[in-house]
Amino acid sequence: MKITVFGSGYVGLVTGACLADVGNQVVCMDIDAEKIAKLQQGGIPIFEPGLDAMVRENQAAGRLRFTTDVKEAVEHGVFQFIAVGTPPDEDGSADLRYVLAVAESIAEYMTDYRVVIDKSTVPVGTADKVRAKIGEGLAKRGEEIEFDVVSNPEFLKEGAALNDFMRPDRIIIGADNPRTAELLRALYAPFNRSHDRIITMDVRSAELTKYAANAMLATKISFMNELANLAEYLGADIEQVRQGIGSDSRIGYSFIYPGCGYGGSCFPKDVKALERTAREQGYHAELLNAVENVNNRQKNRLFEKIADYYQDKLEGKVFALWGLAFKPDTDDMREAPSRVVIESLCGAGAAVQAYDPEALAEARRIYGDNPRLKLCASPHEALENADALIIVTEWKEFRSPDFDALSRSLRDKVIFDGRNMYEPRFVRRSGLDYHAIGRP
Amino acid sequence: MKITVFGSGYVGLVTGACLADVGNQVICMDIDQHKIGQLNQGIIPIYEPGLEEMIKSNMESGRLRFTTDVKEAVDFGLFQFIAVGTPPDEDGSADLRYVLAVAENIAEHLNDYKIIVNKSTVPVGTADKVKQTVNEVLAQRGEILEFDVVSNPEFLKEGSALEDFMKPDRIIIGSDNPRTSELLKALYAPFNRSRERIIIMDIRSAELTKYAANAMLATKISFMNELANLAELVGADIEYVRHGIGSDSRIGYSFIYPGCGYGGSCFPKDVKALERTAREMGYQAELLSAVENVNNRQKRRLFEKIISHYPEGPQGKIFALWGLAFKPNTNDMRDAPSRAILEALIDAGATVQAYDPEALKEAQAIYSDKFGLKFCSKQDDTLIDADALIICTEWKQFRSPDFDRLSNLLKDKVIFDGRNMYSPKLVRQSGLLHYSIGR
Repeated sequence: MKITVFGSGYVGLVTGACLADVGNQVVCMDIDAEKIAKLQQGGIPIFEPGLDAMVRENQAAGRLRFTTDVKEAVEHGVFQFIAVGTPPDEDGSADLRYVLAVAESIAEYMTDYRVVIDKSTVPVGTADKVRAKIGEGLAKRGEEIEFDVVSNPEFLKEGAALNDFMRPDRIIIGADNPRTAELLRALYAPFNRSHDRIITMDVRSAELTKYAANAMLATKISFMNELANLAEYLGADIEQVRQGIGSDSRIGYSFIYPGCGYGGSCFPKDVKALERTAREQGYHAELLNAVENVNNRQKNRLFEKIADYYQDKLEGKVFALWGLAFKPDTDDMREAPSRVVIESLCGAGAAVQAYDPEALAEARRIYGDNPRLKLCASPHEALENADALIIVTEWKEFRSPDFDALSRSLRDKVIFDGRNMYEPRFVRRSGLDYHAIGRP
Repeated sequence: MKITVFGSGYVGLVTGACLADVGNQVICMDIDQHKIGQLNQGIIPIYEPGLEEMIKSNMESGRLRFTTDVKEAVDFGLFQFIAVGTPPDEDGSADLRYVLAVAENIAEHLNDYKIIVNKSTVPVGTADKVKQTVNEVLAQRGEILEFDVVSNPEFLKEGSALEDFMKPDRIIIGSDNPRTSELLKALYAPFNRSRERIIIMDIRSAELTKYAANAMLATKISFMNELANLAELVGADIEYVRHGIGSDSRIGYSFIYPGCGYGGSCFPKDVKALERTAREMGYQAELLSAVENVNNRQKRRLFEKIISHYPEGPQGKIFALWGLAFKPNTNDMRDAPSRAILEALIDAGATVQAYDPEALKEAQAIYSDKFGLKFCSKQDDTLIDADALIICTEWKQFRSPDFDRLSNLLKDKVIFDGRNMYSPKLVRQSGLLHYSIGR
């Protein structure tokens, strides 16, 4: 089948590459000429395991092309995916400027039936806005051409996105028209082989489903963080509690890890946007609001523990910091807890020596030449002359350090672990002080 | 092994019966003579599928006995289970009076090593209090005797409690002493055969685990209810959304049913108690507080829908109400959403004709001859002269009524469905109006 994908960011590239990989003809369009030129030369602007190779292979096979030409893009695919960004406005609502610009472009150049598919995470009611926009554009041209608008939210996890697309838990198709739903079903058949994973529903419910899933996961995390704080007061160990409740089949082990807060490009944005939607409807979403507040406070917990330990005398201290990305296997630092820690420490006059396996370039882009922040090429370099070690992201390579060596090299012999990576007894045996989240 | 269980309420009876059923010698002790008298005659004070037969067969084989004699009870078991009630105080904290009274009793009659097992849901730190109480009494007696206190929270679901005890998801043992853990492991070996389900941890973490599990489930429900209300406002269908997110393996289908609020003897009590504990520590548990507030408002949602359907007010109207228990397969009406609805309706001058397969007796005990409230022993009788039908509990037998017949019988042709039991399309085909939650 012929497919066009608008937007060559994270979602757009994964969608385009995976659809090409099963034999479709895919054109990815972006207005960013520099990005497209880079992609045409095989340069992938984001880090995602396996994506690099998949894009190159499908380019080489002629199934995947990149263009800045809107007309060519609209003419190519029966399926027109909208996978552009929806950055949050200052008030937390999603900015639909780019989504609606694509709708306008499609209306301007379409000459035949098109299925327009919202892949971006967009507020409930966006499909209606896209439909209206295209209707207007066609009316201006004085044309009557058939089209449908479908909501088909992505459920890609950074770090596992290819697998999520190729072997999805579920494929949600929000369509108000059974014929369109059938077309989408055919498109997704290659990813739906072992058992039926397609759930068809109305457009608005599909739009809400994406927000609901992310908000539920964020809720689980904030719940555990609230309980971790409580466990500290009560002298209980949240890691024991976690295993105790995770073994309940009605709860499960997923997304109940306490830590220094959730970040990334989805949870904070989606919880905020959903809350904002509620407010617009005159509904006070008290629980969502609490989820967000708990998380904002939690991002400060590590710094609070550090400041408590040093009785607020942080001037001149040097901290090794492991992990900048908001989670492992990504270079994404949007709303990352590491940023709160770094900014608070630097603000208090301390120096930070940070290492991350993937996010160093991203950190350099964000912080430029901050004299108090040194970006290090290895975990060992971060430890040079450091007083203490801070763990912010649970990268695999941090799991089993040499604690005796750490004890010798850290001047104050102390670790602040925002991800509960270590067994406290183990660490302490090496003569280190150890502060984690929700543990005695 | 020899086991004593203090308290013959829901948890005590299930624990005693199941432990006897695998071959142990069990004595259940309660200070309520009337209750023990009835139990000795084979009369079970609560409804739980299978419990009656299990108690009877174990009494007959001599493995299960009931007594009011404290000394006999303490002398009997190496394991002394505390399974008495911990009703919430007015401020939401758990009342430990009964738990500590048992501890005193044990200490008074103790003459050998015993393991005291806290099965009741008790706040973090209770095991320490029990230990302290026992030590105080022993000191008064001038005795030095060894004993251990263990936290072993119950995870029984009303309606499937026997299955939960016999084939548990997990068995949590909170103990500060490896020797005691080993004894508990031996006790639970018969229920731990197919794979390892025992999780051993320190006492305080075990105590917190029970609250954490219930609070997490309550959080999932309140989350869905908040989203259901939002779905109504934006024109989405929460039942589709539920399917959509339930298929996410990180979320799952459990406990994400929107409805008219959670009730029962655990969730409301435990969420409140945990919040109260936090407050005592100077910590504001904002999320837990929101979970509770959302639920309190949700319990009024059905009534609000009824009011908006009858802008003149529901006075003089007759409502058939199906389901009184807080959930199916139980007769428990503690904090049940049905109570909020029927009380609000009667206060507004309406009449309620209620039916429940198991909870009618319980409702009679609560409301006796409340004006405006009529109990029906048959589901059909509720419909006589009724204007509208309300569903509060998702009993199986309510799943597939004859909608055409309901349409003929209900004068105002309207159903208020607090559990999203029916497909709106199907109901409307019969000419009925259908209000549900979040659709």
